[in-house]
Amino acid sequence: MPANALQHVAWEPCLLEARRDDALESYARKKLGVPHPTIRYYVDVPWLARALVDLHPEFGLLVHLDLGLGDLIQLVVSQENTCRYCYAAVRASLRIQGMSEARIRSVEGNLARADLTPREAAAIAFARAQSRAGPPAAAGARQVLLDAGVSAPEVKEIAFVAASTDFMNRASTLPAIPPYVFERAPDRLGVRLLRPWIARALRAGRSRGRATPLERVPSYPYAGLVEAFAGSPIAPVLAKTFEEMWASPGLTRRCKLLMFAVIAHGLGCGVCASEAARALQKEGLSQEALTSVLTHLDAPGLDPVERLLVPFARETIWYEPAPLQRRARGVRDQLSGTQFLEAVGVLSLANGLCRLGATVADHP
Amino acid sequence: MTRALLVVAGLGLLAALLGALYRQRRRTQALQTQLEAAAAELQRLQEACARLAPAGVVQRLIADRADTGAERKVVTALFSDLVGYTAMSERLEPAALARVLNGYFQRMSDAIHDHRGHVSTFVGDGILAFFGALQPNPWQCDDAVRAALAMRAAIRDYNEELAKEGLPPLAVGIGIHRGPGLAGLVGSRERMEYAFVGPTVNLAARVQTLTRIHKVDILITEALREHLDPRFVLAPMPAETVKGIAEPVVTYAVRE
Repeated sequence: MPANALQHVAWEPCLLEARRDDALESYARKKLGVPHPTIRYYVDVPWLARALVDLHPEFGLLVHLDLGLGDLIQLVVSQENTCRYCYAAVRASLRIQGMSEARIRSVEGNLARADLTPREAAAIAFARAQSRAGPPAAAGARQVLLDAGVSAPEVKEIAFVAASTDFMNRASTLPAIPPYVFERAPDRLGVRLLRPWIARALRAGRSRGRATPLERVPSYPYAGLVEAFAGSPIAPVLAKTFEEMWASPGLTRRCKLLMFAVIAHGLGCGVCASEAARALQKEGLSQEALTSVLTHLDAPGLDPVERLLVPFARETIWYEPAPLQRRARGVRDQLSGTQFLEAVGVLSLANGLCRLGATVADHP
Repeated sequence: MTRALLVVAGLGLLAALLGALYRQRRRTQALQTQLEAAAAELQRLQEACARLAPAGVVQRLIADRADTGAERKVVTALFSDLVGYTAMSERLEPAALARVLNGYFQRMSDAIHDHRGHVSTFVGDGILAFFGALQPNPWQCDDAVRAALAMRAAIRDYNEELAKEGLPPLAVGIGIHRGPGLAGLVGSRERMEYAFVGPTVNLAARVQTLTRIHKVDILITEALREHLDPRFVLAPMPAETVKGIAEPVVTYAVRE
């Protein structure tokens, strides 16, 4: 009998091997208050491992948004993306923290009938729209949110929670991180007996953020997104993630930008698409080549890795998990372990941030 | 004596209470199990619906809203038809005919689905599919032509299987066109479906009929060619007039 509604979703065997890294594990434990259950899969690309810790919104990144609402957004977006791993993890966390099964189900099933205030329902609907259909659909849902009395800074935080969940969903789905431990966790006798203590440990790590000045405006591609969050603790975390991602040597900057460009184009995010175009021009890519990449996912002059990852990038925008994971296995077999993991990180980040881009950069 | 009776009565009451609690717990567990099964079923249903209509439309339906989610979109329509179906239907027994047809529909649907297309409906032995209707897809023209080439390859493989059983080979004619139309829930109160309607669909169907005149299996329109990857090998066909269109229609056969 399935304990949650995504357990029937086909999920391939994991594409990565877990490896211990004491420094990264201690980094995660210090930030989250509890061990990060999957960081061992990502140690070959440290910026990605750190981003999976740093971009968790409930650990000091939200100044305006209620943390409980943030949890519900993560649950619904993970369900939307059919990410068995993240969905099971958020669900287990909510159950352990005391949310009833009935309330979780009502939020998942039908927002109109769930026990939610209009503001909460509008926030969840907006996050769902941003994640599902990208900028075009999010624009309408954003207006509903503002009409419901949600402030502009709160809207940005809702958009960020949805985007960070989109990022984590793909970072877990693409390499098929096993979801089974979390799926079984809430019903395990040990977890049920120790629930109050586990809940306390989980809650201890969670904290509300405080206004944080952005010390310097970065100059790398997509710095506009960082600037859009200036004053929020989200800005320095995004800045650090971008900085480390662009500097990471696993893939060339041009290859990463091409993946960003394809995802921005597929989602119809004009802001992110023009940012990628400008940056690619600086990298020496001709307008003709960029047009060819965007319209036909290939161009003369791409190197073999780019030729492999550009068409794969579009597969990550809308997908069913198992076929995407099989396709990812084929891609992995043609790359080094570090290249593949870096591609997973870049594609995941691009999917989250290009969905976020139009919301925050178009409405400063 | 009275005290003993009271103790026995108390114990009896306690036992009855515990029994009732146990039964209540069993009932709650059974209800919980049913609820979980229903929720999982609902999730499956929602996912199945999402393959038939955009997720936003499905959500509106779930929320009991009456709007149809209708919107104008530019979509690529693919219309395919089985060549020689009438002759084959007269030759084969109904059971064999149904098996051959189902095999054909399955293979064609897989080829369309593998290239991000959405089978809208089966019209007799024909198939109407859309690319870019359920989700925005800037690569819809390339996807549609790749799907048509996959359908050609699938028919070739299927014919080898049919030949081993002594069954006649199948052939398809495919017409593809790109253009604007209205996407949304259409139909009667009793039967609704997510559809894309407009002249784009009609022209794709007309272009499909031209495959017999030009004796080719895949034809695309000029409007589609303009957005197509130039690496596809095309052959221009003479312009032909078709029913319902004033100007002769320029088409291209897709070689590879």
